[in-house]
Amino acid sequence: MTIDSQQKRLQARLANRPKWQSIGLIYAREMRDQLRDRRTLFTIIVLPIMLYPVVGMLLMQMAQFTRAHTTSVCILGVEQVTASDDSTPWRSNTPPLLRRLDADAQPNPTTAPLGGNYEFLPDIAGEQKNLALFGYPSSALGEPDEVARQVTSWVRDGVFDCVLDVRAGIGQTNGSTTATAASDQTAGKLPGEPDTMNLDATDVGSVKVFFNIASDPSMVARGRIESVLNRWRGTWVRDRLHDAGVELSVLDPFQIQGIDIAPKRTRETAFWSKILPFIMLVWAMTGAFYPAIDLVAGEKERGTLETLLCSPALRSEIVWGKLGAVMSFSMLTAVLNAVSMLLTSVLVFQQMGIGPGGTSMGTPPLAPMLWLLVALVPLSALFSALALAVAAMARSSKEGQYYLMPLMMMTLPLVMLPMLPGMVLSVGTSLIPVTGMFLLVRSLIEGHFADALLHLPIVVMVTGLCLTTAMRWAQRQFETESVLFGDGDHWELGAWMRHLWQDRQRAATPTLALACGVIVLVGLFFGKLVITEIPQSMSGLSRLIFFPQIGLILAPTLLMATMMTTSLKSSLRINSVPWRLWPIIALLGFALHPLHVQLATWISTLYPLSPEAIAAMTPFANQLGSANWLGVLFLMAVVPAVCEELTFRGFIFGGLARNQSPLRAILVTAIMFGISHGVLQQSITATIVGLLLGWIALRTGSVLPGILIHLTLNGMSVSMERIADLNVPVINQLIYVGADGAQYLPLYSAMALIFTMTCLLSLYRRTQGTGSIHPLDRIADRVSGPQPVVDPAVTNPTI
Amino acid sequence: MIQVQHLTKVYEDLRRGKFEAVSSISFTVAPGEIFGLLGPNGAGKTTVLRILSTVLQPTSGIATIDGYDVAHEPTMVRRRIGFVSNNTAIYDRMTAWEMVAYFGRLHGLSLDAVNARLEVLFEQLRMNEFRDVPGGKMSTGMRQKVSIARALVHDPPVLIFDEATLGLDVLVARNLLEVIRQLRDTGKCLIFSTHIMSEVERLCDRTAIMHHGRILDSGTLPELFERHQKSDFEELFFDLLSRHEADESLPASTATPTLNSPPIEAIA
Repeated sequence: MTIDSQQKRLQARLANRPKWQSIGLIYAREMRDQLRDRRTLFTIIVLPIMLYPVVGMLLMQMAQFTRAHTTSVCILGVEQVTASDDSTPWRSNTPPLLRRLDADAQPNPTTAPLGGNYEFLPDIAGEQKNLALFGYPSSALGEPDEVARQVTSWVRDGVFDCVLDVRAGIGQTNGSTTATAASDQTAGKLPGEPDTMNLDATDVGSVKVFFNIASDPSMVARGRIESVLNRWRGTWVRDRLHDAGVELSVLDPFQIQGIDIAPKRTRETAFWSKILPFIMLVWAMTGAFYPAIDLVAGEKERGTLETLLCSPALRSEIVWGKLGAVMSFSMLTAVLNAVSMLLTSVLVFQQMGIGPGGTSMGTPPLAPMLWLLVALVPLSALFSALALAVAAMARSSKEGQYYLMPLMMMTLPLVMLPMLPGMVLSVGTSLIPVTGMFLLVRSLIEGHFADALLHLPIVVMVTGLCLTTAMRWAQRQFETESVLFGDGDHWELGAWMRHLWQDRQRAATPTLALACGVIVLVGLFFGKLVITEIPQSMSGLSRLIFFPQIGLILAPTLLMATMMTTSLKSSLRINSVPWRLWPIIALLGFALHPLHVQLATWISTLYPLSPEAIAAMTPFANQLGSANWLGVLFLMAVVPAVCEELTFRGFIFGGLARNQSPLRAILVTAIMFGISHGVLQQSITATIVGLLLGWIALRTGSVLPGILIHLTLNGMSVSMERIADLNVPVINQLIYVGADGAQYLPLYSAMALIFTMTCLLSLYRRTQGTGSIHPLDRIADRVSGPQPVVDPAVTNPTI
Repeated sequence: MIQVQHLTKVYEDLRRGKFEAVSSISFTVAPGEIFGLLGPNGAGKTTVLRILSTVLQPTSGIATIDGYDVAHEPTMVRRRIGFVSNNTAIYDRMTAWEMVAYFGRLHGLSLDAVNARLEVLFEQLRMNEFRDVPGGKMSTGMRQKVSIARALVHDPPVLIFDEATLGLDVLVARNLLEVIRQLRDTGKCLIFSTHIMSEVERLCDRTAIMHHGRILDSGTLPELFERHQKSDFEELFFDLLSRHEADESLPASTATPTLNSPPIEAIA
């Protein structure tokens, strides 16, 4: 190498370092570009500022409308309950309910009634604004059937919002019946069920309220009438008790007085700390989407992206600059929306007098809300990076919108989760991305600093991990030319099928592997729906295992491996493993099991299983406990180990690992393996075990060690109690039977960790230099993979 | 200045499986020279130039510009080239001046240096009357001038023009060819792809005729005429193409854009 050439290589290396100046330039340009775009400005700035005041005004208008609506009620048999009505003899034991307003005014039910000729007595009625009562004495009514029809049509057509029939009942109780009976009857028969529509005065002591559940005004009227009737009944009961010489205090031996110790400030904060983060996160997401689409998919569509790509700006500089711009808009949207919503709702709430405990909300305390801004930065960055990466896959703005909707759908549950009642910051919840950060902010706002500090490292770690992954993904998108220049418009089913058949390779392609994983997972999901009951016999149990394992996991894999690859052995990675590795692998299974048990226990304390789930599993476990040992081993260990390993560590891992990123292959396989277990607690354990099995599959280049380890783990899990029952002296030193079944002694668990480490280390050292992927597949990858290798020797691969 | 050896680019295609858009081509271009790539649509010209401008990675083969490998030292290569193609559009919401200045700054020029350079360039390309017009309101000719100014802003030793006259009217196209000729005279190394034969005849010092991803022949025009016993360039071109197709015994639809060539070929 000449000196000139050496200098050039050095210069080239230096040039690949991202520079802040370039990032700043790109950021400034993207910001200016977006700010010059009217559509963006409207969605991100004008809309939030206008939206909430407009919605707030509408709400206030509607509230006023509801209040202004006059509730009209028709009362049948007014003579029973009217005070100072001379036409009928007054019963001294019935307290009056109504008072006549104007003797001359007669109601005209055919037109909308507005005045009314009766009113409730003031001490019973309470608020009587917008309430019009029309009374008919019993003498003015016709045949019962005719009246029933009339009442039904009045309520149905909205002539009256509801009809109160007091003709039956009131008079006949007549003081001789006990007070309790009267009130029971009144309470029990209030709603106008169809069978009580018959207006015969035979059912003694009932008051009927006719309403229409399909009409809101009618439901409001019903509520108002019922509360009046309740008060009326109360006076009545009190009067009777008084007459019977009972002291009123007997009825009420004590009173409950609730005292909220939280200061007013905290009460307000508690409300805002729930609603504001949600609003901000949803808008942070929305605010990231539109600029992301415009900055990547839009630029691709307009052709300016290629201009930028052939400028000296590095891919990383472009990604960072664009990310900064997207993030700025995301945060701006979130903050503007939150502020606008805050102001509007405070004003509207004050007007409407709504708030916790009927108090006005007032302004939320501003200082704690600053925590929200601190948390907004990483979450905005996360959403922006995700949006940028997804938008990069689209070739046009329109396509970008198609892609971003699913992303939003997937992220939204993470934002909704903290809103669920009972969600508090714990180790378990803080491990969930976005949700953890949300809950952390909430405890900061509420002033639980010690709690927040305790979980801060976990939340920071999880958020950091997600952020790094999202950013790397975004950057990868910008380095992949099939993403930047690919044209998928010519996709055709027929051509694609032909291509799948004609260009079959020895092992699965990454796409095929992913497709297989998705098919298996979707199949398992629907398979679970089919199984409705826990089987009661061993044959039912074996069906429960065979159906998903062979039908839903192994069968699709074998089918795809046979149809779409040329070598079943290669695609399932059934490769021989050097004999010197087998002892380590065999030992590893036994050494891992105590750790596996420990992990499962730990996870079930973190995310406890519901009592229903445990109850559902008990008969299953009992069946296994009583069945033939060899049968159980075959069902629970051999079948799952073979089926799952061939699928996950064989076909899927083999396909993904060809993508020149074995670590990602391990991760994706492990996650799919985890999801296939269905129950969250099992899924987490399975994912972690899957990572290890994936690594072993990578190091040994074969699926067989995974099968053995998987078999050992499952086998040990179902056999622990039986082994303990054997009472072999040596084993009794390792396993004891405790309250929760057979357990390892803590000492052995600790030793198992050392055994496992030793086994893994020795496996690592003995597999150095072993090729994990068939050399012929490697050559095929160099030509078809996304990042072709410059190697003139591999111009014409023969496969 | 530009050295290309056995450059190959393979795309994955649904219909034909792996498809070689560029098959093992080699050529060199010296400073002060205009090298023409002539070929029908879908011949692989754009792919070659995109590899040279580092936006695509070659499948195999080596291409260097001023001693820097396009595949492994793309940043250094991009600093030395100006790339103008139909795909390198300009920003709608930036004025001509802002756009060129932005790329000047990305090339690491200081604000003062950019302003000084832009005054010269805008004068030279007669762009002063639309320096404050936003890209969205420019005519095709104006846009092309902005693209050229953008490619020239850092005064690169190598300039790559990919079908740069496509869609331009005669006046603007003539103007462009004049600019290219002037650039050659200042010692730049130029590579120019087109499917229009007259442009090659008038402009290029040396020409390579491409078809189906291969260079069928290359050299100066007199050399080509002598080698193929032809006096008319169009005759020569068709003769080469039909002979090549007879060799490959492919159907005669040469001008059909191929599926997996980059979209630019299909636009034309």
